[in-house]
Amino acid sequence: MTGVRSVARVVPGVLAAAMALSGCASVQPWEKGKLAQPAMTFGASPLAPGLETRYAEHIYTSREGASGGSGVGGGGCGCN
Amino acid sequence: MTTSSQAGDAGTLAASLLAAALLLPGVAQAENAPENGSIGLRYLDYADRQPGLDRIHARSPSVSVMAPVAGDWAVEGTIVADAVSGASPRYHTAISGASHMADNRKAADVGVTRYFHRATLTLGGAFSGEHDYVSRALSLNGTLSSEDNNTTWAFGVAGSRDSINPVNRIVVGERKRTASVLAGVTQVLSPNDIGQVTLTHTRGNGYFDDPYKLFDHRPRDRRQDTLLVRWNHYLDATGATARLSYRWYGDSYRIRAHTFGAEYVQPLGDALGGGWTVVPELRLYSQSAASFYYDPAPDGTPGGLFPPGYVAGPGQPFSSPDQRLSGFGAVTAGLKVVRALNRWWTLDVKFEQYEQRGSWRLFHDGSPGLAPLYARTLQVGVTRQW
Amino acid sequence: MTFRSMTMRRAALALCAGLACAGAWALDEGAAAPKFDLPGREGAVQLANYQGKVVYVDFWASWCGPCRQSFPWLNEMQAKYGARGLQVVGVNLDAKGDDARKFLADVPARFQVAFDPAGATPRAYGIKGMPSSVLVGPDGKVILQHAGFKAADRAELEKAIQTALGPQK
Repeated sequence: MTGVRSVARVVPGVLAAAMALSGCASVQPWEKGKLAQPAMTFGASPLAPGLETRYAEHIYTSREGASGGSGVGGGGCGCN
Repeated sequence: MTTSSQAGDAGTLAASLLAAALLLPGVAQAENAPENGSIGLRYLDYADRQPGLDRIHARSPSVSVMAPVAGDWAVEGTIVADAVSGASPRYHTAISGASHMADNRKAADVGVTRYFHRATLTLGGAFSGEHDYVSRALSLNGTLSSEDNNTTWAFGVAGSRDSINPVNRIVVGERKRTASVLAGVTQVLSPNDIGQVTLTHTRGNGYFDDPYKLFDHRPRDRRQDTLLVRWNHYLDATGATARLSYRWYGDSYRIRAHTFGAEYVQPLGDALGGGWTVVPELRLYSQSAASFYYDPAPDGTPGGLFPPGYVAGPGQPFSSPDQRLSGFGAVTAGLKVVRALNRWWTLDVKFEQYEQRGSWRLFHDGSPGLAPLYARTLQVGVTRQW
Repeated sequence: MTFRSMTMRRAALALCAGLACAGAWALDEGAAAPKFDLPGREGAVQLANYQGKVVYVDFWASWCGPCRQSFPWLNEMQAKYGARGLQVVGVNLDAKGDDARKFLADVPARFQVAFDPAGATPRAYGIKGMPSSVLVGPDGKVILQHAGFKAADRAELEKAIQTALGPQK
């Protein structure tokens, strides 16, 4: 359990660093053309159907000790 | 799939249902309600084996529908039916005495998402039923984005309740409950890069044993933690996307696992008439054994299948000869081919090979004396948007 | 401090850092709309040429889903109010002109279209989302800015156009 804590402690720092690197040159809404592509998002799309991810989760959970971890998707085209 | 022979790890099925619920397409696309609805059909054919024994064969059709509603809402639903049959060793990878089973599982889940300015809220419910295992789960997920939409925070809570009645009646009317929380952040790093970090914590109590395995006696509680890091990178030169992921897993069984995933999404442009994409993928997995997992004794040892130090009577220490709790490494290699016929129809076919071996565990020795496990997966899917 | 609150604190700081660097500013209502001079489909498109007209500037790109939904409505507005002095100008922000041309072949635009692949115009207007629209009055001043496009927005935007145009002569 302590393993997660030490890793989690690093996460906000890493994130702040990443954001600082990208931050003051933060990506503008009209620069998100490539990010809008389905392959670049973390959610489901016809390219990566939710059912496919579901099957994968289920198979690995049935054959291995570890499970879970997937988070919700984000990003996208900045479209409103 | 194969859940009746794996009721012991079926808390993980509920967890996977929750995890699946968290992947609702409605929540996926940032903070605007999807412009298009979609319906998808998919079919999975899975078969695994070890040398000398064909093990589990599963066929699984499913359908998923996602529809935007009234501008600010989206509804999503999925139905899955598994037909599972085959053999499972009762302990380690012993072929003799392997239990044979056949079962049908039906599962359904529904999710409703409300879209706000820079935020979403999703309520989900899931149900899974088979002969010996019924699971119900509920989840609530929310996302919050920064004003420039470059940072999205995600939060989620979920709970499940399971009823377990193994067909061999080794126990009757057992139950299990789990509760999980999730926190994550997605960050746009550059016009070509986006990253995501997600933490989850799950607690469960109740019946975790696998009733179809000999000498399987597990603690009545389990705590699990995961850290998932994902990174998508767009390559200007080829128009391809590299999708990379790493997951750290740790639990109160003292299982520690690392999962590395890599996918390379390569659109083929105008080749072959246009609309084709190929996606090769590679997954590397490694886990340590559970603290109460015991190795098989060397061949011919009298009483070899018993846990070491076994004395008949009540008050047994925890033990399990379940291959899934041993130390091993596994590799998956797969290829998916996608054809977008037009703006509305998409077809895809995916083929994967999986192999699991004790000797492939990373950085440390895996558990000895188990046969390797081979699995192959074939999936076919069609999606229609409107 | 407990681990949890330390982590939350750092997470909040990271978020603030991201927000602070967003450089978010938008034009106030009543401010002068920044001039632009961009290539169009047939020659240059200059905001200055539309002095005296109500200009609906719409920032769009081929990869933006709601943009596809907005074009039929933009066509409708141009057809309905063009005679009363409305000029719709769609400023395309695709980095690759080919993507924009493919989109226009698919989704016709019966209004003025200008191309700004460098993104100087949206930066000058302080655009915060895609699509974004800016309604400019005959005096060259910004009347309203709107981010996004949903079906429900149409009525509100049309009303703003009507108000800007004034009573029918």
